[in-house]
Amino acid sequence: MMLQIARRMIQISVILLIVVIPWLCLYAHYRAARVVDDEQLMAGMRGEVITQAIHPYLDELEHPEAFLDANKGTVWSMRLAGYDIADPLAAVEMLAASKSIHWPLWLSVLVPVILTLILGKVFCSWICPGYLLFELAGKIRPLLKFAEIPPAEVKFSHKNKYIFLFVGLGITAMFSLPLFALIYPPAVISRALHAWVFGTALTGMLVVLGTMLLVEILISPRWWCQTMCPGGALYGLLGKKRLLRVKLKSSSCTGCQACIPVCEAGINPITQSGSIECDNCGVCLRHCDPAALVFTIGLPTSKNTGQPQHNSKTSNRPAAAMLTLAFWLLWATPVSGHHVLGLPHYSYKENYPQRPTLEYPATTGPYDVLLTSYPGTPTPGEPANLAFYIKNRNTGKVFTDRVKICVLQTSTFGDNVVILPTTERASFDNEHKLQCTFPVDAEYIVELTLVVEGKQEVIPFLLNAGEPTATASIVVAGVSTLLFCFVVVRAVQKKYQRRKLAAQSSSGGQQELVVIG
Amino acid sequence: MSLNRRDFVKQSAAVGLTVAGTVYLSGVGEPAEAACSKPLRPPGALQEDDFTATCIRCMRCIDACPNKALVPLQQASRLGSPGTPTMQPRKAACMLCMSVEGDYLKCTEACPSGALQLVKKDKEEVQEKVHIGIAELDTDLCYSYNNWSCGACYRACPLAGEAMTIGLWERPTVNPEVCVGCGCCERSCIRYPHAIRVKQEAGA
Repeated sequence: MMLQIARRMIQISVILLIVVIPWLCLYAHYRAARVVDDEQLMAGMRGEVITQAIHPYLDELEHPEAFLDANKGTVWSMRLAGYDIADPLAAVEMLAASKSIHWPLWLSVLVPVILTLILGKVFCSWICPGYLLFELAGKIRPLLKFAEIPPAEVKFSHKNKYIFLFVGLGITAMFSLPLFALIYPPAVISRALHAWVFGTALTGMLVVLGTMLLVEILISPRWWCQTMCPGGALYGLLGKKRLLRVKLKSSSCTGCQACIPVCEAGINPITQSGSIECDNCGVCLRHCDPAALVFTIGLPTSKNTGQPQHNSKTSNRPAAAMLTLAFWLLWATPVSGHHVLGLPHYSYKENYPQRPTLEYPATTGPYDVLLTSYPGTPTPGEPANLAFYIKNRNTGKVFTDRVKICVLQTSTFGDNVVILPTTERASFDNEHKLQCTFPVDAEYIVELTLVVEGKQEVIPFLLNAGEPTATASIVVAGVSTLLFCFVVVRAVQKKYQRRKLAAQSSSGGQQELVVIG
Repeated sequence: MSLNRRDFVKQSAAVGLTVAGTVYLSGVGEPAEAACSKPLRPPGALQEDDFTATCIRCMRCIDACPNKALVPLQQASRLGSPGTPTMQPRKAACMLCMSVEGDYLKCTEACPSGALQLVKKDKEEVQEKVHIGIAELDTDLCYSYNNWSCGACYRACPLAGEAMTIGLWERPTVNPEVCVGCGCCERSCIRYPHAIRVKQEAGA
């Protein structure tokens, strides 16, 4: 029990860590720009966290810059308290993609590799945020079963992940493009959390995680970790000869088999606890009433791996590993060096008061059309400036004929609303300019009509004002809410049906008794 | 291991679908036609192909940039391999870490994989190793070439007088030999669409 609480605590603190590090970095950015004290810039959720939760504490440190410099990155590769740690998969993948060895990266995978050699696949079960996510997703399946919508339970082979690891590395080497970084759940989750903190787009990552979750919930429980994860495969191979392993004291085992369904790795702890698949999560220990399953330190015995012992060969391995670890810890030094190069030549607020613009490119015939909106995302209710710059890409001449422009507001259901009826515009300073006030947060279409080589061309530009909710996300949110409600309602219905059936059968039994009586 | 045909098909389907999805996400099969709008890479970056191979997409340079100039490329943008860092000078330019402490450019110091080569913060090394791109001026748009006078880009240029010279009516001229592509000129341009912008070098 204590072990499982400790495991959950570690998993949650890892999640906290990958949220806190981007926050610290964001704070470092604001600090470098000297805007932390600016009330206007510090408005909103980000500013509140920075000014209230981070700034007062970090400002008291003696060298806040050194502290901020020493914490960066994601679980994929992280600088923590000045030390570099990277996922072995990242190093292997980079080796395959670039066919070159970058020693600092290999030094930073040393700690995880040594830990895996000693403790086995503990990265998966104790640290990986993806493992936690999929563990929790697995808890939704009982609800589906309760509502009598039994999810499929397809079993895939555990060997798939090794195939995926090697096929993926092969493709990576062939095309010189890393693959695993884009789907490896810990990397994707930490990138998604990073994007959330930094306010960049995270749709792509959510789609990857959503697909995995759907497969986990609907098709095959614990599919990713058990049968597909290339990281898990690599850790498994590294931890094959681990020292810490689950062992069965066969004298105390009652044969109740309570450990088999709970095993997160999908193996049979009674017979396969020494196998390459076991990730030392310790869940089976908690469910073993006679405490027949225990963690032991030692090399595999022939009994639970089916392999002969290698005691004489490997007995000095842990000592060597410890020495290497100590050497590495002493050898690596935190970042140091402070140096001020005078005043900044610019900062956010002093020299650069402009609000950013956004550009929407298009082409028609020989012309490149560029719509620029200023500000980039117009504020609803305030006038925004739109400018068309039309240039012939072959001759380099600017298009200066008159054009027609109209602005429409899109609508998810129903027709588009005309915001600005078609107006004719002449060129001024090589641009066709237009001022327009967008009434509400929404998506708008700016339609440009121009005559190219005697033919009339209409180019629509899609433009956002304020923060409109995308139609797709409305649909996804709506459908998933409906599905969830359906499942819950069905679960409640089924519960009542079952209760009624039970009541009927018991009252029926009483009647019979009466008749007999 | 005994494996019947049905099981073999099932397992291959699982692996095959996962591989296919991953390959699709990584954009391996993407045509190279987007070469004209190559994403700008951080200072000290290797050549584009080596860079996408070496970068492990860990976001550390993005964390390190004190000017918040680096952002990860998005899957949807289809501009390059998603997760790799890029720079959009219109939003924030590379200020070559001039306003912060430290001896090295922060992003190059943070890079764990060698995709960004360490660049020391002195003028010779910056000139030699930083090739983000080269600023290109559109004289049809630049105010100074169109009956006005501006000079905002010249004032922003960290190598003013060398990478950029200024003439009559504050007409700027870029010296492509010296320009490192930091994007400060693009960031400062008051015209929209901006008259000066950084393009990744053709050779890079």
